[in-house]
Amino acid sequence: MSADDHQPRSAAAVDERPDLDAASLISVRGLRVHFETKRGRAHAVDGVDLDIRDGETIGLVGETGSGKSVTARSLLRLVPMPPGVLAGGSVLYRPKQVCGACSGSGCTACGQVGRRPIACRACDGAGCEACEHTGRHTVDLLRISDTELREIRGNRIAMIFQDPGKALNPALTIRQQIAEVFLEHRSGELLQAAGLEDGDRRAGRLMRRSAHQRVRGIERLMLKLPPWRGRQVKLSTAIDDAVIRALEDTRIPNPRKILTNYPHELSGGMKQRVMIAQALACDPDLLIADEPTTALDVTIQARILDLISELQQRRGTAVLYISHDLSLVKRVCDRVAVLYAGQIAEVSDVAELFRRPMHPYTRGLLAAVPSAEQQRGQLRAIRGTVPELVDPEPACRFHTRCDAAVPLCASREPVLWERGDGAAPHRVACFAHADPQVLGVDRRELPVLDEGSS
Amino acid sequence: MTAATNPLDRPAALHAGDHVLNVRAVRKHFPIKDGVLQRVAGHVRAVDGVSFDVPRGSTVGLVGESGCGKSTLGRVIAGLLDPTDGGVFFGMPAAERARLDALLQVPPEARSEAQAAELGDIDQQFRIDRLDKHRRRHYRRNCQVVFQDAFASLNPRQLVRDIVGRPLKAFGEASGSALTERVVELLEQVGLGRQHLYRYPHQFSGGQRQRISIARALALDPEFMVLDEPTSSLDVSVQAQILNLLHELQRERGLTYLFISHDLNVVRHMSDEVVVMYLGRIAESARSTAIFETPRHPYTEALLAANPDETDREPIRLSGSVPDPARPPQGCRFHTRCPVATPRCGWEVDDLVRIAGESEGALDGLKGVERRDPFDAKLVFDTSRQATATARSMQRDRLPDALAQAVRRVERLDDTVAVSLQSVDEPPLVEVAPGHRTNCVLHHDEL
Amino acid sequence: MAESTVRPAPPGLPAVPLEALRTRGLRFAELARSALRNPTTLLGLAILTVIFAMAIFAPLLVPVNPSGALQMPRNWGATNAPPGTPGHPLGTTPNGGDVLYGIVWGARTSLRLSLTVVSITVVVGVAMGSLAGFLGGKWDELLMRLVDVFLSIPELIFALAIAAVLGPSFGNIILALAAVFWVKYARIIRGQIMQVKQNEFVDAAYVVGESRWNVYRKDVLPNSITPVVVQATLDMGHVVLIGATLSFIGLAEAGLAEWGNLVSEGQSGIAAGRWWVATFSGLMVFLWSLSFNLVGDGLRDVLDPRTEGR
Ligand SMILES: Nc1ncnc2c1ncn2[C@@H]1O[C@H](COP(=O)(O)OP(=O)(O)OP(=O)(O)O)[C@@H](O)[C@H]1O
Ligand SMILES: Nc1ncnc2c1ncn2[C@@H]1O[C@H](COP(=O)(O)OP(=O)(O)O)[C@@H](O)[C@H]1O
Ligand code: SF4
Ligand code: SF4
Ligand SMILES: [Mg+2]
Ligand SMILES: [Mg+2]
Ligand SMILES: [Zn+2]
Ligand SMILES: [Zn+2]
Repeated sequence: MSADDHQPRSAAAVDERPDLDAASLISVRGLRVHFETKRGRAHAVDGVDLDIRDGETIGLVGETGSGKSVTARSLLRLVPMPPGVLAGGSVLYRPKQVCGACSGSGCTACGQVGRRPIACRACDGAGCEACEHTGRHTVDLLRISDTELREIRGNRIAMIFQDPGKALNPALTIRQQIAEVFLEHRSGELLQAAGLEDGDRRAGRLMRRSAHQRVRGIERLMLKLPPWRGRQVKLSTAIDDAVIRALEDTRIPNPRKILTNYPHELSGGMKQRVMIAQALACDPDLLIADEPTTALDVTIQARILDLISELQQRRGTAVLYISHDLSLVKRVCDRVAVLYAGQIAEVSDVAELFRRPMHPYTRGLLAAVPSAEQQRGQLRAIRGTVPELVDPEPACRFHTRCDAAVPLCASREPVLWERGDGAAPHRVACFAHADPQVLGVDRRELPVLDEGSS
Repeated sequence: MTAATNPLDRPAALHAGDHVLNVRAVRKHFPIKDGVLQRVAGHVRAVDGVSFDVPRGSTVGLVGESGCGKSTLGRVIAGLLDPTDGGVFFGMPAAERARLDALLQVPPEARSEAQAAELGDIDQQFRIDRLDKHRRRHYRRNCQVVFQDAFASLNPRQLVRDIVGRPLKAFGEASGSALTERVVELLEQVGLGRQHLYRYPHQFSGGQRQRISIARALALDPEFMVLDEPTSSLDVSVQAQILNLLHELQRERGLTYLFISHDLNVVRHMSDEVVVMYLGRIAESARSTAIFETPRHPYTEALLAANPDETDREPIRLSGSVPDPARPPQGCRFHTRCPVATPRCGWEVDDLVRIAGESEGALDGLKGVERRDPFDAKLVFDTSRQATATARSMQRDRLPDALAQAVRRVERLDDTVAVSLQSVDEPPLVEVAPGHRTNCVLHHDEL
Repeated sequence: MAESTVRPAPPGLPAVPLEALRTRGLRFAELARSALRNPTTLLGLAILTVIFAMAIFAPLLVPVNPSGALQMPRNWGATNAPPGTPGHPLGTTPNGGDVLYGIVWGARTSLRLSLTVVSITVVVGVAMGSLAGFLGGKWDELLMRLVDVFLSIPELIFALAIAAVLGPSFGNIILALAAVFWVKYARIIRGQIMQVKQNEFVDAAYVVGESRWNVYRKDVLPNSITPVVVQATLDMGHVVLIGATLSFIGLAEAGLAEWGNLVSEGQSGIAAGRWWVATFSGLMVFLWSLSFNLVGDGLRDVLDPRTEGR
């Protein structure tokens, strides 16, 4: 993908796009991911701009098929290609490192989270082209090599999935599942903790394989003999300690007991905890949670949510929380982005969004939640369903279902306009909130939303 | 078993009027097969003694966590599964119902011959698995189901016309072009149209498929519909469309619904009455407003508190997960997770072992458990030191209060620990306020 | 829904069944199109077309043997004639049989053999497997025990044993092969039915008052049959291979125009440089089973429920 593949949605987008919060951890810019299907090119994600700030929880909501999972998976290049096609955009990641002042234990300099941003290597923090004048070390996750990416995946950016049963390897014990993460990204520290010197790479590799129980023949014999045997025991104690610490963090009672269990022997909630332990094992900068509680019962869901937000606050991890349930998002997130048909319809702080939803789609979603007050049979449903994403026209994606749609909506694409006041930033992609002068149209051509609705 | 002491939780005396359906002491146990020989190793007690009524024209909501037996009960009611015990009675007039309830209060072994004959007679007329051919057909056309999975409930190889027209064909109501016209009418009632007649299910979205399912269920103009989580695979926006449609159909046709769901918002919105199930039993049942405004069961309260929309409720966090329905807990089935459990709630040896096991070192070297009954057992260890460690972790001050008070004895002798607890029967479902039944002993005390 | 305007009912009815036909036709056309997009399937189909044409037009290609169409004509005047001999373009066998005749009419024999065996086994296997899978319980246990017994014996050896006991004849080969092959179908269909039975649409059919037989016929069978179709295609090739093996070791009628027979007759001559008899017939066996395999694999891909109807 070359950089000039990235096309803004319209010329207006460039002028209107406010300066994206410069220091955000992740900046998704104009992300487009398409799928080749029998019927044509499905524009699953079609120009998504999204910022994830350090330590915040941002919600990504939308109906099924709106592109939430594809967006999230694109951050880690987990979308299968083919049939997927990266049609443009970039995902800028500004990594952090262990705080030099406190070496990770937390101090005032790092806001008690133990990690701090890295200065741009090209300009040493002064701001240059390479870091988009943020002064922060910046990599484009869509363009770095596979090796670099692997070093980030599971380590700096981790992901948990909807179905914990499918995401855990059924053939590995809980200990092995979590040990794997440590061995992959933290083998140096493990060897250190075990009192084994780091430098001896061969030893490290052998140890890693032995921890995976992947040693054969003569090596296995070797490990049973004196110089190795001792190291082996020390290492596996170190691994156990690390694994248990990770599990303890997720409030699993007596974690030692489940170390040798296989995933299928645990309940859904427990599996989700193991997955969280695995994801947070390396203190990632960002945790992507793709509907982590949809498969769980309400009573268990509440506890998992508490757990995620508690761990997140303690460690300063940013969370991208994907859900189709607005009430959940309201409860756990700081900011919310509403996705519709592969584009962001509205982004804002949680309180602001729920107090003053601006996009007709957001209003529709909110009104559709059944409640006691609404009379039976009088739920405000959004009519129709998500449109086909195959080769869409340049139009507001929502115009087929929008009650306020006017001809303009069917002929041009709205972009995200900043419409919040200083205290509460709020961006929305609907012509009803557009400036007619910028668009070059008459005010009467714009749609009008009935206020006070929702 | 303790449940045998109350074979029939009395149904609420709320509605004297016309009922479409009466469920009486229904159990459904599934055998667990084990090994090469497929020996029966136990039973999953999916539904374990449930009684309630469905008044005509109303919507009864059935809620509970997954695996608590909602769908199984729905299937028994729809005649897809035969109950292991108890019965489902369809279209029974009030007089017969009173007769039946009186008869069922007599334990089976104490029934006189005349009583048994009378019971058999009622069964033959109204109990859905005992009906004669003619009555069964009447029941079949009047009790329809909409299934949870919008994708699995339509035959992928049939066209919409054949799917929706199938009941009409099976009952010989129409064929050929008359059938097609009837199908079009039905499709129009659920917001689809003639253009959808000749399409395959995979050409529709989830919401549209659920509409097709509803059209099929309506084809025979039934009195009663079991809706098994009809919207749980749909988005809120589409869910709202379907809920509106269901309500409209109910109003137009005077339908009666059994609405199964795990979503409290949906149940609250749709139901007149709510039955809360936990592990195959009814925990609480009452009018919808009563359940949501004055819940009388800690489980219901926890469900309500877990609802993300209920921000003003004090969050109650249940520990652990739903126990294995093959071995439901003694006493109140909810006591393993109940935040306000009392010493009378049925604490058993398993609880003691489970809670002791959470502390480091306890239960190491456990060789076996000799059970006298669920409340009395001997734990055998490899060494007496391990036995001591476990016994120490079971000391009163290390246990939750309610459990500690229920413990009668923890004694170590050599390498064994003998434990015994207060033995408790399963609490019955009691009507504590008009139409409001609960099996929580705390609320029984209020009486 | 997506189409908010409901089209008015067209006057008259004839358009309606046509539309149904079109939907079904479209589905078929789409399947066919995606099958043909695969080059190996296409190759398999091409070979099959040639062989089938050969079988159908056999009398036009090589004159019928007056003493029996499926009998090799004997020309005792030209034994072991090499290819290119006038009147015997592909040479003759040690018994003076015309190799070309054997190849062309052998296609008929193969077709007859595989069609008979496969149709018998599919019918028997599907019936047995359906009884076991659909009715379950005692039926299932009984039939599956039987199947286990059959499966514990290698199929070739079993067929051999039957053919040996019954004596060498074409009919007995059919019988032997049928006895072996039905088991596979019974197993496949049973497994499929057990899965399909779990689907909610089966329950839905019972709820609308459908009879068990109709549920089986309309819901269960059509959704379970795909792997049987694939397997049957593969077996069309497989049967001829095993049939040829049986003939090769002399369990077929002598003098039958059959490829395995030819291979058997020709094998002794290979060492002496008379390669043609075994080579041409062996090639036919190979092509036949290869092409059915290619087509079967293609079908499997196309009919895979995960890709179907997307
Ligand atoms: N591997 C794939 N091949 C083809 N299309 C795909 C693939 N993965 C996703 N899509 C398409 O991309 C679009 C967005 O899918 P995505 O999974 O991101 O939706 P979502 O918002 O996560 O929905 P849900 O709430 O159901 O998880 C959909 O139209 C989907 O069909
Ligand atoms: N056919 C069956 N065979 C064995 N166990 C079953 C069967 N159907 C349901 N169960 C078990 O019965 C219990 C209740 O299931 P179900 O009624 O589906 O619960 P719900 O609908 O409330 O989620 C579960 O433990 C489930 O595993
Ligand atoms: S731009 Fe037009 S169609 Fe789109 S949401 Fe706004 S009013 Fe509706
Ligand atoms: S009886 Fe009531 S208090 Fe006791 S465990 Fe059950 S729900 Fe809790
Ligand atoms: Mg998703
Ligand atoms: Mg269910
Ligand atoms: Zn610091
Ligand atoms: Zn820089």
